[in-house]
Amino acid sequence: MTTSKNQQHNIVYFEEPPTKAPPLLAVGALAWIRDNLFSSWLDTLLTFLGLAFIITVITSFLQWSINQANWFAVIFNVRQFMVGRLESQAEWRIWLLVLIVAFAGGLAWAAWSSRISRSVIIVTVFVLALMFLAPQFIGSAIPLPDSHLVAGNQGIQAGSLTQVAQDQIAFIAKTGDIVTFRIADEVATDDETLAQLFSFSDNVANTLRNAAATSLSTQARMDEINVLLAGEDLTDRQRVNLENELGRIEQPQVITETYSINRLPVNLRILDGATLEPLVETILQPEGDTFSFTLPNDGWFVVEKTITEGEGLAILQTTGIFPILQRSFTRSEELDAGGEVVSEAGRVDQFVRMTDNFVLEAPQPQNNGTAISYSTIIEFKYRGERPLLDYLSLFLGPFLQMLNTPLLILVIAGGLGYVAGLSADTLFSPEEKPHRASQRAATWLLIATPALMFILVAGVGNILPLTDPRRWGGLLLTMMLTVVGIIGSFPIGVLLALGRRSSLPAVKLVCTLYIELVRGVPFISVLFMGALLLPLTNPALSEVPGAYRAMIATIIFSAAYLAENVRGGLQSIPPGQEEAAKAIGLNGLQTILYITLPQALRAVIPALVGMFIGLFKDTSLVAIVGLIDLTGITNSVVAQTEFLGDRRETFLFISIIYFVFSYVMSYVSRRIEASGAGAAMAKRI
Amino acid sequence: MSESLVEQGAVTQMDDEPIIFCQNVNKWFGEFHVLRDVSLEVMPQEVVVILGPSGSGKSTFIRCINRLEEHQEGQIIVDGMELTHDVRNIAAIRREIGMVFQQFNLFPHKTVLENITLGPMKVRHWPRDKAEAKAQELLNRVGIPEQAAKYPGQLSGGQQQRVAIARALAMEPKIMLFDEPTSALDPEMIKEVLDVMKELARSGMTMLVVTHEMGFAREVADRVIFFDHGRIVEQGTPDYFFEEAQHERTKLFLSQIL
Repeated sequence: MTTSKNQQHNIVYFEEPPTKAPPLLAVGALAWIRDNLFSSWLDTLLTFLGLAFIITVITSFLQWSINQANWFAVIFNVRQFMVGRLESQAEWRIWLLVLIVAFAGGLAWAAWSSRISRSVIIVTVFVLALMFLAPQFIGSAIPLPDSHLVAGNQGIQAGSLTQVAQDQIAFIAKTGDIVTFRIADEVATDDETLAQLFSFSDNVANTLRNAAATSLSTQARMDEINVLLAGEDLTDRQRVNLENELGRIEQPQVITETYSINRLPVNLRILDGATLEPLVETILQPEGDTFSFTLPNDGWFVVEKTITEGEGLAILQTTGIFPILQRSFTRSEELDAGGEVVSEAGRVDQFVRMTDNFVLEAPQPQNNGTAISYSTIIEFKYRGERPLLDYLSLFLGPFLQMLNTPLLILVIAGGLGYVAGLSADTLFSPEEKPHRASQRAATWLLIATPALMFILVAGVGNILPLTDPRRWGGLLLTMMLTVVGIIGSFPIGVLLALGRRSSLPAVKLVCTLYIELVRGVPFISVLFMGALLLPLTNPALSEVPGAYRAMIATIIFSAAYLAENVRGGLQSIPPGQEEAAKAIGLNGLQTILYITLPQALRAVIPALVGMFIGLFKDTSLVAIVGLIDLTGITNSVVAQTEFLGDRRETFLFISIIYFVFSYVMSYVSRRIEASGAGAAMAKRI
Repeated sequence: MSESLVEQGAVTQMDDEPIIFCQNVNKWFGEFHVLRDVSLEVMPQEVVVILGPSGSGKSTFIRCINRLEEHQEGQIIVDGMELTHDVRNIAAIRREIGMVFQQFNLFPHKTVLENITLGPMKVRHWPRDKAEAKAQELLNRVGIPEQAAKYPGQLSGGQQQRVAIARALAMEPKIMLFDEPTSALDPEMIKEVLDVMKELARSGMTMLVVTHEMGFAREVADRVIFFDHGRIVEQGTPDYFFEEAQHERTKLFLSQIL
């Protein structure tokens, strides 16, 4: 059948084609992987390279974290990281503040977010349960690592020095703690086992281990040279060099032989720390049994370990003796509710057992007026590579234990806020606006929070005693600077932005000058001006605490940047908006307040939050003008003798804190962008 | 209002006084003489359609009437008040005039209801209840009562323009200015806006409409004005204008669009 051209052009499709499901490989996870990870050979190559990179980074980090990192530097300084040297009497105010913020967060969630899904609840409960159960499980299933200490009367040559084992070592313990001792025969059968002594050990044990390792490697080199010399492949010159090297090497000692390790019995006594009365006395024999003793009370004890018959050393494997950290601080007088003095004012020495945070305030034992040295973290360090189990029992367990209760309280406060928001809505919100009550409550609470923060932290008059701003530190100071910086610079920045767009030349000039001047100067110079130059102009200004001067500098600095961001937003508003506002009769101020400014601010939320995140991180610069914010604290932590040089651990920790807060800010900003008119405004009319 | 008069199709003259009185209005954009000696009187309840090629100054002219543009010479008197630099006069005149724009210019961050109630609450200081009742009534009138809680971005162009009309009406103006209200709309949506405007015209509102909708002009206008190069070339009743126009420029214009 032939069709003419005209017939081809006029066709009516009365039948609808059916709607079909997509082909199997077009949707789902497999399709996603194919389309996004392996779409071309270059893509495939990049996928594998990226994967290899990620795996390398993660494994090397985990290896370092488990085997080497000294996380005590973090665990023991958490208070410093959080609040610096804030008075301990004011600590509850910080807790109250944190609870209010958590409550406000829960309320805001109820007001602006979707309902909490079941999976979120399940995950939260699961994580909390894990945080409570894991430390219990680790505590009961994984024993704390043994320690090795050396007894004996033979001096050990370590370079030009001679080290001698201490006869007495002090330690702290709780009632019912069990200490055990035995001569650790298996670690010193020969130099090879001695070189593998990786554990908590005292300095002398460490010296022995290093000596054994050196001796072994020297012997190995000698053997190697002897084999080479016996062969035929060497030139004369190589032969001479090797013979010279051999001549320079001293015949290495066998360490276990030289110091007759674990050959002699050890006299062991445990003394009460206060009276130095012996509590128990025994003689440990080589290849003998384990001796154990249950301590009768909380307090100081002294272990005395001596070799009296003959000359030699013994490596004791002990459990129950752990490194101690000393904290000293001054405490002002504490009164109970009835006005009775609970504790006197003065200097307090606290001793903390590292493995479980057991705190003792009794004085260190004295022997004829000399303090008996205790097992400090420096002397009693974990040597060598740490196995996973020791990592779990030393760090992960205690760390979770430390976090779990505060986290539970936070979750409860947040949950209460959420429930409060939901109930407010069911009780008070009208049907057409189901979230009005909770949104109003959350808005007011969030507006009040910065003020509450300042009041709670700084104190007011007689009701809340004033705290000393010089003692603010850590995350507290960082947050104060950030929040005050944001709140303070916001109105100033908006006014500057409006001023720069003003039609009055004088206003415009002043605002432009301010903005350009401040933006042309680095933040650090503004901080230095606040810290050093301002007091020169008026001596009274040097009385203003550095924290306040840094806050003012932050406000001055960020207002200029904020102004430029807001100005950008104002410029992005189409002129028709202003015309429409005029046409319905709004005056200039009303037009700005109700029409242009809200739209401009909404348009620049990403830029503003980016700026606020930058501000939050830039506050770390105040460490340079002598304030101890989160970064400043880290510098002071790694300057402590106990944690000297543990920079990686501490900086990693504060990086995580910086990240968490920055991420929360960025998340909230994304929610605000998408909320209310945001979804509809994405498509601008 | 007095529908009988309107139905006669004649120029209605409730008062003897014109509600808009323009005499020798001149305006320049820089060197460019955009309005040249424009004189016009509009009576209450009159519907005036302004036609003209683009760039002829017709939009600029109606924007001068509520002072979105400033005229430099001549006199504009609206409802007995002269437009001068006096801010109070400008505010008073703007309260009497509603305006609908080509690009709608709704406030995208406010809901439809808030768009409509903003003016009455902030300018006329009405309580919220009264403003919202009025807004609902107007939304009914423009045929979209169910869209009150939505944001402008969620509406079609025709719906947005009807909201814009409701927003202008909420101020209870005596005069409505329409600046090419259907030019930015898809062909399918033009009718719904024109229907609202026709209803408004029938109710006796004084209207000044810049448009290219000849059908609307023919059906609704009491008077058609033709602008070219910043001046009024010809004016008359629709019947006269579309059938018996005298000026060469008008004839050329009509021959090109009809």
